[in-house]
Amino acid sequence: MTWLRLVNAEMHKLTTTKLPWAFLVVLVAISAITATAVIFGTDMDGSKAFISTAADQKSLVAFAANALMGAGLFGALAVAREYGHGTVVPSFLTEPRRHRAVLAQFAAVMIAGGLLGLMGSALTIAGVALSLPTTEYGFMVSAGGVAQVIAASGFAAAAGALIGASIGALIRNTGGSVAAAVVVLIVAPPMIVQLANGAASWVPDTLTKVASGVANDVALAPALAALAAWAIVPAVIGLFVVQRRDVV
Amino acid sequence: MASITSERKTAPSGTGPSKQAGHALEITRVTKRYGRNVVVDDLSFTVEPGRVTGFLGPNGAGKSTLMKILLDLASADKGKATIGGRRYRDLPDPARTVGVVLEPNAFHPGRSGRNHLRILAKGGGFPTERIDEMLWLVGLGDAADRRVGAYSLGMRQRLSLAGALLGDPPVLVLDEPGNGLDPQGIRDLRELLRARAANGNTIFVSSHLLSEVEHLADEVVVLNKGRLVASGSLAELQTEATFVRTPSCASLTELLEAAGADVQAQERHGLVVRGLPIDEIGDRAHNAGVVLHELSPHSGSLEDLFLDWTGDKHPDGSRSTAKEVVSP
Repeated sequence: MTWLRLVNAEMHKLTTTKLPWAFLVVLVAISAITATAVIFGTDMDGSKAFISTAADQKSLVAFAANALMGAGLFGALAVAREYGHGTVVPSFLTEPRRHRAVLAQFAAVMIAGGLLGLMGSALTIAGVALSLPTTEYGFMVSAGGVAQVIAASGFAAAAGALIGASIGALIRNTGGSVAAAVVVLIVAPPMIVQLANGAASWVPDTLTKVASGVANDVALAPALAALAAWAIVPAVIGLFVVQRRDVV
Repeated sequence: MASITSERKTAPSGTGPSKQAGHALEITRVTKRYGRNVVVDDLSFTVEPGRVTGFLGPNGAGKSTLMKILLDLASADKGKATIGGRRYRDLPDPARTVGVVLEPNAFHPGRSGRNHLRILAKGGGFPTERIDEMLWLVGLGDAADRRVGAYSLGMRQRLSLAGALLGDPPVLVLDEPGNGLDPQGIRDLRELLRARAANGNTIFVSSHLLSEVEHLADEVVVLNKGRLVASGSLAELQTEATFVRTPSCASLTELLEAAGADVQAQERHGLVVRGLPIDEIGDRAHNAGVVLHELSPHSGSLEDLFLDWTGDKHPDGSRSTAKEVVSP
């Protein structure tokens, strides 16, 4: 009960700043860009082959990778700014057992990030569906496919938000946290693949494609578990460090 | 803060001070280091309920660090700090037990004052009607829905105070709460704190506004470079010195310092002596054949005392000037 109260307070923190709304604007812009690409874009040969099959369209609307990265930045910003503004201090005074306060913060960021992921996915699907009638193709993704893409986005965004939040709690500086989130989510995975080719199936980009049903490098359950592990490991490190460190 | 002093009468005190035994703050041999720098050095003192205790020291003396250790925001390398016999983290309901003002700018600038308090109320489980009560109490009723980023420093301090009072706690730990307040705000704050202390609350307030502490505090705890240099009743501390007028200043100074006294030269053959009782000063002067023209209790201002407590002695025994000791 007390912990849920903390989560509620953390949710209120998030919804009383412009940060989620700014991300929502970005999601609308991404949706508009995708719709524009459907209307005006062509393949190299001038055809619209990139939207000609259900699989192509599903790949186009598979938003999970974007959701993971976007929510990662959201989580890093949301948590690092708490330390930057000192607004984390009242949280630790309300709940001095810091792991509970940090878990509440992580939970709130995951919920908000997950919701942004769901909305981003839904907006992208809506953008594509509404723009397709301007072409010779209809919307061919099945209802099940749409549901999988949206669910994968929500899951990936929640995981990304947790990764970002953990980085924010560890680094505490807004600029540093955003830079670190970019490194962890965007720069490091391709480098890992270059160093160990076998890891290609387990980097977030591949895992989000598997979760969305547009790749089958690994089975769905291990992919979801691996995606969760990408988020849980930094979260555990973040919890441990925040517990031990002075709040200054 | 026009109505601030009536808060104790009007506030709904669900778990308020009148229903609880007083909470003493006990600092026991606390040491804190950052690297090789000893910020708090083997510090021990007690803050009693029913009193306003001023916490003084030059910038960097370790006041804020000690408060953070007390509130479990920083860990002590040695010793312990308790509130009512428990560490902060072990209090059954810390947010309702201790009201805190720590950082003057610990707000999200884009959030309104009302939303800031809503967050505190949700986290602490306080009734939402307290939010408006506290906003009006501290004089922010009309500015409640404005962004905190547009608040002046004084308004932010008022908001901090509203947050500290939200849970009607029996203990207040306030770090420089008077910063940025206008004279009326300072007077209201003083009356509020005195009223709460009179009600059995524990009030621990750091300040560098010495004249304000002089009006406010019953007790003072003074730190310098992390060490305790004075503590006790302010009234007693202010009268514990002796003024001596003698034509033999140099020889009497030597005599009294050899006996362990702290002697400061004044104008017109005067000396202010601390650390020896007045009788003993007279006896020692008499036994040494030093003529005294005056021997009387000396009541110094808190500022004089503070500079005396926190002044560095040069190797030759003289004191550095106030400018060198207290940074602005």
